[in-house]
Amino acid sequence: MPAKVLLIDDDSDFRAAVKSLLESHGYHVLEASSGHEGLRMVLEHKPDAILVDIMMETTVEGYGVTYALKYQDEYAEFRNIPIFMISSIEESPDERFPMSAEVEMIRPDRYLTKPLDIPKFLGLLEKAVGAAKGTVV
Amino acid sequence: MSGPVASPAVVVIDDDYAMRLSCGKILTKMGLRAETFEDGARGLEGVAKLKPDMVVVDLKMPGISGMEVLSRVHEIDPQIVIVVITGYATIDTAVQAMKCGAYDFLPKPFSPDELRLIVNRGLERRRLGLESQCHEVERAMLTRRFVTFVAHQLRTPLVAVHQYLNVMQHLDQSPAKEHEWIDRCLIRIEELQNLIADWLTLARVEGGAMLKERIKVDLSQIVLDILKAYQETATAEGVSLEARVPESSLYVLGDRNCLSVLFDNLIANAIKYNKPGGKVTITGAVSAGEVVIAVADTGVGIPEKYRPFLFDEFFRVKDESAKKTAGTGLGLHISKRIVSEMGGTIHVESQVGAGSVFWVRLPAAHDPEAGIGSQNDAGAETNSNSR
Repeated sequence: MPAKVLLIDDDSDFRAAVKSLLESHGYHVLEASSGHEGLRMVLEHKPDAILVDIMMETTVEGYGVTYALKYQDEYAEFRNIPIFMISSIEESPDERFPMSAEVEMIRPDRYLTKPLDIPKFLGLLEKAVGAAKGTVV
Repeated sequence: MSGPVASPAVVVIDDDYAMRLSCGKILTKMGLRAETFEDGARGLEGVAKLKPDMVVVDLKMPGISGMEVLSRVHEIDPQIVIVVITGYATIDTAVQAMKCGAYDFLPKPFSPDELRLIVNRGLERRRLGLESQCHEVERAMLTRRFVTFVAHQLRTPLVAVHQYLNVMQHLDQSPAKEHEWIDRCLIRIEELQNLIADWLTLARVEGGAMLKERIKVDLSQIVLDILKAYQETATAEGVSLEARVPESSLYVLGDRNCLSVLFDNLIANAIKYNKPGGKVTITGAVSAGEVVIAVADTGVGIPEKYRPFLFDEFFRVKDESAKKTAGTGLGLHISKRIVSEMGGTIHVESQVGAGSVFWVRLPAAHDPEAGIGSQNDAGAETNSNSR
């Protein structure tokens, strides 16, 4: 069964490009245009990896999704899904929340700038999905 | 920080249970009296009863909106310091809330430290009873966020194009798919061009172009020129255009380019957000020293809840009907800036499903033949215009 990748981004063009790329490399791609929709799809489809945009024009953006997945009980069984935070602006949580002592809580494990560097991204994704599944894709 | 008497009281209004719980805990640990409420109605009752020093309110709640809670709290006591909780992307809403009297805003998700910091600052402000001194810090913070926000806004279309091209280079796709993507790239590049053009106009307006260039401009001519330029687009959209402007009497003093941008934005919107078979009517008149121009459409209309934000930077109505139209979210903001720089006003009347009317009022340039008297010449012109 192909690995499922959930792509959460409010830009439909960006999603279209990445979707084609991933499908051509054997992944099954699920799309969500907002954090809310993305979280709903996590519960429903149990993806193997998540790509989430940090700044979206919706109320729940990237950090909100990360926070929910890591700390909310509802998502406890999905805590180990690898999350790739993606953004066109390099803004780390330290910059977003300069005063916070708990910024570590939402520090992404994997952070990538847009546009995605294709070979690098595919390599990281394959490794992350493989590790999470305990097998090599 | 607080006085030796009773510790300050903070009311938290948020529909999210976890949020209420953690805010309550943090505030109590700070030695404050904290009460939490799950919606606007209960929250307001609590505020009336407790007369707190501070209210922390979520802007997005079912029932009474956060924005309404804000004004009602200040009806109860204008000295209560209000902090609004909001998502990052709704920065315009936060700015609007601050205009409505909120002291500060907390973007979600926030950490206990951030909450403590803002609450302490707010209570300090409450204690000192300052009304306007904190504005500078607030502005600096907003500016920093805004710069990031703008960079992001500019980069979004660029990233889409870049990613399409990268993937096209990497994959062997069907020519049909490639064509589709090239079309999308062109659309996104156009979006970027428009965004940059709008920014330049905004910079021009903010740089005081309106004050430097004050030549006498005939608005009727500007409107007619714009209508001519849009005729083809309008026909393609099935929208008819009509100008009811008097000849050579709608004069204002200002920058011709900026004035063209102003009416170009309004007329373009009136066509863009119209319906097939719809109509755009521009009426102009001089009244009491003002040139009054109305741009009316028979389009989708603007829901009331969006109207307060219509002229904010990057605000775009997010309804289904508006989704398919491209826009930078800057047009109306620029229009408003131009009008205010000229000492005029702009406002909108709208009915959902029936259409909108944008009213622009600008100080009339006095007729040179009427002599030096600045405002008094208006009366002579009032009858020669309408229709």
